[in-house]
Amino acid sequence: MYLVNYIKEVLSALRSLLIGMRRTLFYFTHHKEIITEQYPDNRATLKLADRFKGEVVMPHNENNEHRCTGCTACELACPNGTIKVITKFDITPEGKKKKAIDKLVYHLELCTMCNLCVYACPSDAIKMAQTFEHSVFDRNQLTKVLNFPDSKIMDGVE
Amino acid sequence: MWSISKIASLVHEWLSNTFSATWVTVFEMVIAGVLVISLFAVLGLILVMMERKVSAWIQIRLGPNRVGPKGMFQSAADTVKLLVKEGMTPNGADKLLFNVAPFLAIVVSMLLMAPLAFAKDFTLWDINIGVLYVSAISSVSVISILMAGWASNNKYSLMGAMRSGAQIVSYELSAGLSIMAIVVLTGSLNFNDIILSQADGWWIFKGHLPIWIAFIVFLIAVTAETNRAPFDLAEAESELTAGFHTEYSGMKFALFFLAEYVNVFIVCAIGATLFLGGWMPFHIGHWDGFNHIMDFIPSSLWFFGKTFFLIFLIMWFRWSFPRLRIDQLLNLEWKYLLPISMVNILLVTAMAILKWHF
Amino acid sequence: MSGSTILFYMLAGLILGSGLLSVTTRQLFRAAIYLLFSLIGMAGMYFWMEYDFIAAVQIVVYVGGITVLIIFSIFLTQQAGELLPQAKFSRSLFSALASFCAFALVMIQILGHTFPTKTATTVDPNVKNIGYQMLGVNSGGGYALPFEVVSMLLLAALVGCIIIALNQKPIKK
Ligand code: SF4
Ligand code: SF4
Repeated sequence: MYLVNYIKEVLSALRSLLIGMRRTLFYFTHHKEIITEQYPDNRATLKLADRFKGEVVMPHNENNEHRCTGCTACELACPNGTIKVITKFDITPEGKKKKAIDKLVYHLELCTMCNLCVYACPSDAIKMAQTFEHSVFDRNQLTKVLNFPDSKIMDGVE
Repeated sequence: MWSISKIASLVHEWLSNTFSATWVTVFEMVIAGVLVISLFAVLGLILVMMERKVSAWIQIRLGPNRVGPKGMFQSAADTVKLLVKEGMTPNGADKLLFNVAPFLAIVVSMLLMAPLAFAKDFTLWDINIGVLYVSAISSVSVISILMAGWASNNKYSLMGAMRSGAQIVSYELSAGLSIMAIVVLTGSLNFNDIILSQADGWWIFKGHLPIWIAFIVFLIAVTAETNRAPFDLAEAESELTAGFHTEYSGMKFALFFLAEYVNVFIVCAIGATLFLGGWMPFHIGHWDGFNHIMDFIPSSLWFFGKTFFLIFLIMWFRWSFPRLRIDQLLNLEWKYLLPISMVNILLVTAMAILKWHF
Repeated sequence: MSGSTILFYMLAGLILGSGLLSVTTRQLFRAAIYLLFSLIGMAGMYFWMEYDFIAAVQIVVYVGGITVLIIFSIFLTQQAGELLPQAKFSRSLFSALASFCAFALVMIQILGHTFPTKTATTVDPNVKNIGYQMLGVNSGGGYALPFEVVSMLLLAALVGCIIIALNQKPIKK
């Protein structure tokens, strides 16, 4: 009985090895479906996966308006202290003071692309972009201001 | 027709007509040495390239594709890189042994080249006990690894060397026993005799199940002996950095690397010689017409074709299977391969006595 | 001086030189490696005499087997990396004396022995011949009996090793 089990064990081991080898042989003979991206040769046609996150950006519309209210929720949500929201007070036409952003400073070199700030934002003002060629010669260039100069908050966003 | 053996005999004739006997020997030794070294270089380039391409294709990658057409010169570029790198000797190392070890490794591989029959009537040294010679010399290769591991004065190196020593010493047994199966059938230790005994069919076809078992055991054992995955725990990158050659750099590292690949070639050549008929073309029993057509393919092509087929098989193993743990490794040898090959050699002996093979 | 003689002296130099280094070095591991080279030199000497079979067996047994075993035991001992203590003068003197006596004994034997020139044709080392020699009984020129006796000795040694290594506590009833 022991011997039968022994032989069975050896045969099943061989079988499983052969199954593994059949799989790799399949891949070996089907090298049409190569997954290698030949960057930078294919830079023009490069397609990134939807879930790829390159950096945090703030979309603006054609009137140079963004949706950020300056609530600092993103700053609080960020685990790395990447975002610094600098607020100011605008004077509305009715003469009231209203909180708005002066600068939304973003330190790319600290960001881990964790997406928490985007989740935290109540007014969908920021999102993740897919750019990834971030290398620069000077570290200071990695500190970015996300809102464009002279940009305003969109109407209707509170 | 031009064959390697004919060229060799022409050279020999010309030399013996021009010089005295002693100088002929000296010149022939020099020529053989140069040939072996250039074969080493070429093999190193080809095998490294082949390994990288095979691994890439198995993993659905492209592999090297920048240097030269389809990346064919990548390994040449790597060689240049290794040549110009600084060969460092660590401060706490045993300097003498540290520097001798890679040369010992490469010399052992060179010695193993000698009895191989590369083509019909073409052997560097047609030694009478070829098989025994090969298994004897290959047991020296473990010493170079032990030496490198000890002399590096590094815990990873020492551990890698120990593992590799245990592995080689134990797998030598089943490799030897599976080789013995063929020796029992042919009744000779000489490689050329073994090849000639396969003129009417290779042993893998003539030998029924026992030879198949011996062949499989041989393949597993030599994969382990050459320290290749799935038995590469001597240099397991994820555990031991690089095992016994952690401290080596530049050309000394390259020598180890080269010796490893050349050893793969040699064990595959031996496997091809013993089980697949070496340079013997594919012959079927008494189909004379068919056999005659097969004879037109040069014998060296047959030899290299079979050898590279086996090399591909071993590479295929490497990129298919995960690495074994040390206890699994020793279990495999002592609980499975060794008993199986011992029973197997009894079967083969019975077969040889009863003349059950074709 | 022919090439063959030069080779002989080179091999002899290798054997003697590495043997001497092996006993004089103070690093344990190096001693093992020098011993290895000395043994390889002896194998080379057998090759030089065209006794290929014995040469290969010499390499298998002594180089691949015993030296590897020695190296392993060096690896497993503590403080193997440190220098050995300098041998005492009296001890080196006695060892030198002992080895000189052994050397003299061997030399007397060799010098007193008349070597017959070329007794027979070279031994045929094919597998059949070796097999008959190993397995044949004495009358057929075989060495089965001494071979078996030697293996009994080895068996006894193995059993002894196992018993020493077991070292089990007696089972309590
Ligand atoms: S992605 Fe994460 S790390 Fe980057 S700014 Fe947003 S919260 Fe901070
Ligand atoms: S980006 Fe969003 S979360 Fe951050 S300050 Fe502006 S509105 Fe608030």
